[in-house]
Amino acid sequence: MRTMDDYEMDPAEQEFWLAQVARIVDELDPVPAGLVERAQFAIDLEDIDAEVELEAARWADQRPLAGVRGGAPGTITFFVGDLTVMVNVTRTGEKQRIDGWLVPAGEHGVEVRVADQGSKTTTADEGGRFVLTEIPRGTTQILVRMNGGKPRTVVTPTVEL
Amino acid sequence: MGAVTELHATRTNPPWEGLEGTERHAACVIAAREGHRGALDVLVAELTPLVWHIARGAGLDRSAAEDVAQTVWLALLRHVDSIAEPRAVVGWLITTTRREAKRTRQRSATQVELLPEVAEHVPSTEPMPEAEALRTERDRQLWSAFHRLDQRCQELLRLTVLAGRAEYKVVAEVLRMPHGSIGPTRGRCLTALRSLYDNGDGGR
Repeated sequence: MRTMDDYEMDPAEQEFWLAQVARIVDELDPVPAGLVERAQFAIDLEDIDAEVELEAARWADQRPLAGVRGGAPGTITFFVGDLTVMVNVTRTGEKQRIDGWLVPAGEHGVEVRVADQGSKTTTADEGGRFVLTEIPRGTTQILVRMNGGKPRTVVTPTVEL
Repeated sequence: MGAVTELHATRTNPPWEGLEGTERHAACVIAAREGHRGALDVLVAELTPLVWHIARGAGLDRSAAEDVAQTVWLALLRHVDSIAEPRAVVGWLITTTRREAKRTRQRSATQVELLPEVAEHVPSTEPMPEAEALRTERDRQLWSAFHRLDQRCQELLRLTVLAGRAEYKVVAEVLRMPHGSIGPTRGRCLTALRSLYDNGDGGR
């Protein structure tokens, strides 16, 4: 049985509803400001090497950072495969301090990149702990370079810290 | 295309310059393989809207969709040497974004199941738009109706809008959308949108 809802739309009405969808695409749900630049920063990695496996980590869903995009200090977690990295961020004046913990532990290289403000590297201790101080605030990406076995580099999407 | 021959004569121009659509994307992939800095940036700049609207059409909130978009571009960086057909990079992006969005959604679903006390506090399943975007009652109704469509329709309609634009003609090709025609499936999605909109405002 046909109801009113089933009748075919004429082209003009299709145009009208497509224009409504266009309004969603362009105005109600636009690409976030700066996403293109953040993605370009995220893939602008110096030492990408065919010999080193590159893996994109994921931020854990429940981010205790109060509105992580706003960037209040706190603990965030990212993971890929069997690797989990917990990162605690504390403000130190204009800069911040990053305390991290890799699980499973390993003496892996850790790099924190901040857009337009360079990067800092360190190596985790045998317990998987690492500390980086005087990190500027901004669009931040974390890399873990895992040695031992097949070399691989884990990279995160950017986060505003 | 005469422009291609001219381009080879001018070595300072990037290899994708003057090209459009599939040819342009393929030239960017090949240039990226050869270590041309900036080739992937062109793809990111031009195709992020496609990736974004697929991730949002899959029901991710804005923050999760942003992470998925970046993850997809990191995946392209990783796989740029192994994509079998540079001309098919748009199809690769569509597939990769859908898969990544699905993975993200499944993971949040699992977490909500594990933590019922969290689920209680999830305010709405409608992924919210920009905070101040919904200024009028009409926009609120439109948004609400759109997000009651099934996800297939949400993605299809978002991509229909993109594919109708000159710079995204390649999307129409990849999805085999006949030019200038809405087609039965999209027609059904538009009819469903109208019906949800009309029924959503308590007897207009």
